[in-house]
Amino acid sequence: MKFFKKLSLVTVASAVLLTSALAGAAWAKDDLKGKITVNGSTALLPMTLQAAKEFQKLHPKVKIAASGKGSVTGPQAVKKGIADIGACDWDASIDVPGFKAFTGQVANKVAVIPFATFVNKSVKVDSLTTEQLKGIFSGKITNWKDVGGADEDIVVITRSFGSGTRVNYQSKALDGGDIVKKEKNYKEVGSSGDMKTAVATTPNSIGYIDLTYITGSDVKALKHNGVEATTDNVINGKYKIWSYGYYMTKGQPTGATKEFIEYVQSKKFQDSSLKKLKFIPISAMK
Amino acid sequence: MNTPVQDTGAQSETVYNKKSYTHLSKQQIKASFVNKLFKNYFLFSILTLCFVLALVIFFIGKTAFLTFKDISLAQYFFSFDWTPEEGKFGAALFILNTLSLTALTLVIAVPLSVGMAILIAEIAPKWMKTIIRPILDLLVGIPSIVYGYLGLTILLPLLRELSGESLGDGLLAAALVLTIMILPTICRISDDAIGAVPKKYREAAYALGSTRLQSIFKVILPSAGRGIIAAIILGMTRAIGETMAVVMVIGNTPQLAKSLFASTSVLTSNIVMQISNVEFDSTWNYALHMMAFLLLVISFILILFIRFLGRKGGAES
Repeated sequence: MKFFKKLSLVTVASAVLLTSALAGAAWAKDDLKGKITVNGSTALLPMTLQAAKEFQKLHPKVKIAASGKGSVTGPQAVKKGIADIGACDWDASIDVPGFKAFTGQVANKVAVIPFATFVNKSVKVDSLTTEQLKGIFSGKITNWKDVGGADEDIVVITRSFGSGTRVNYQSKALDGGDIVKKEKNYKEVGSSGDMKTAVATTPNSIGYIDLTYITGSDVKALKHNGVEATTDNVINGKYKIWSYGYYMTKGQPTGATKEFIEYVQSKKFQDSSLKKLKFIPISAMK
Repeated sequence: MNTPVQDTGAQSETVYNKKSYTHLSKQQIKASFVNKLFKNYFLFSILTLCFVLALVIFFIGKTAFLTFKDISLAQYFFSFDWTPEEGKFGAALFILNTLSLTALTLVIAVPLSVGMAILIAEIAPKWMKTIIRPILDLLVGIPSIVYGYLGLTILLPLLRELSGESLGDGLLAAALVLTIMILPTICRISDDAIGAVPKKYREAAYALGSTRLQSIFKVILPSAGRGIIAAIILGMTRAIGETMAVVMVIGNTPQLAKSLFASTSVLTSNIVMQISNVEFDSTWNYALHMMAFLLLVISFILILFIRFLGRKGGAES
C-alpha cells in the first residue's frame, strides 16, 4: 500500500512537471491568455465550437467554454456577467418584437443565417407571397386551396415565442406580422430539430427553419415571393429571409474575447470553416 | 441507532476468529472502526440528500413566490389566458389540462393494467408468467423520450388516419403515450400486491364454492386493494411529471383543451418549452417556477398519500 502511494505520488508529480515543461516550451511565444465563455443561440453553436477548436490551436493558453440554450440567454448571460460572449440570432442591442434592447451591449456580426419557409412533401404549392404567409400564420387562411393548392387543411407548425428563428421569420418573412395560435391544426415545437421532424411527418404542414436543415425528400423549401431560397439569392439580395448571427459583448470586446471575435470574423475562418457549416460569410453581404 | 449492526459485525468477527485469539482485539477494533466509518459515511450521504431536497424546495419556492409580486393569486390560479408576451399569466388552463390528461390516462390505463395483473398473477400458466414479467420490467426502464418519439412517428399518423384530423396532436395522443409508459409500472406492482394475498384466502373462497371469477373479484382484489391503489398512484405520479414524451405529441399550445384533438399544453410541457426563452428576472420566469413548484407540491401530496395508505394497510394485516 505505502509503496503504491509513493509510486503514484511520484508519477503524478513527474507528469505535472513534464507537461508544464513541455507546455512552457511550446507556449513560450504566445502571450495571449484568458478564459472566454460563450452562451446563447443553438443555431450558432456549431460555428462557435469549430472556431473555438481552431482558435485554441493558435492560442493554447486561452480556454473557451461554449454552450447553447436559446438566443435570448446569450445577451442575458452577458448582462449578468456569466458569459463574455452571448451568441444571438438577432441584434439584441436594439428592440425586436417581444424583446427589449439590452443596453450597453455591442453586437458583433459573425455570420449570415438564411431561413426558409418549408412544407411537407404532400403540399403542391411551390411559392407563397408575404401576404399569403401572413394570412396562413395569422390563421386567416386555413386551406391550401386558397393559396393555389389542393383542398386540404393547412397545419401550421411554429417555434415557441422567444425563439431566434421565430423573431427573424416574423420580421423578415411576415413583415412583422403576428403568429396567432388556433384551436386546430396548430402546433408549437421547441427546437429546429423538432421543427424538421414535425413538418416531415405531418401531411399538409408548413413551418420555417434555418436553410441548412432542409434536406431529404420529406420536406421542401418554398419560394418567397417567387424567389428561391438559396445562399446565392441571399448574397445577391433577392431573397430577404435571413439575418446576421451576432456575438453580443458588454461594451467593446477586449483582450482574448476581442481576438476570438476577430478570428471568427477573419477571412480565413469565414471562407473555409464557416462555409463548410453552411453559413454565409458576412463579407459576402456587402 | 446502529448498535445492533455493530454488534452483529463484532459477533461474526468473533466467530470467525475463534482460533486466533491473538488477533481478536485488533480485528475487533478494526471492525468497529469500519462499522463507524460506514455508518457516518452513509448518514452523511442521507443528510446531504435531505439538504439537496431542502435546497430544491427553497430555491424553486423562493423564485416561484416572486410571481405574486406582479400578478394576483386569483389571476394565476383562475385565469385561462396565458399570453406572457402581453403580461397575462393565467396558469389555470395548464392545471386543468394536467388534471384532465392524468385522468384520461388513468381511465385508459387502470382497467387494462389491473386486468393484466390479474391475468399474470392468477390465471396465466407458469411459463407465461416467466416470459411476461421480465418483459414488463424491461418496459419500465425504457427512457420516456423513446416513447415520445414512437408516439410522434407511429401513433400520430395512425390517429390522423383513424380520426380524419390533419394534425392529431392533443390530449388523446398524449394520454395514449402515457398509458403505454405507466402500464408496466401499475401492472407489475399490482401483480406483486395480488401475489401477496395469502393462499388461505383463495382456498377458503373455493371451499365455500365460489367460482374463479367470484374469488378474484370478491376476495382477492379487495384484499389486494391497497397495493393496487399504491400502484395506481405511483403510475399517476409518473404520468403527471412526464415531460419529454408529452412535449412531442401534445402540440404545445397554451390553450384549454376543448377536444381530444386540440393542440394544448400541460404544466410540464409548458415549462420545458418556454424556460430557455425567458429572461432571468421576469415575471414570466417566476411564473414558470411557480408551475414547477405546483408540480412538486402535487407529487409530495401523492407520495404522502401512498405512505398513509401503506401504514394503514400494515396496521390492519
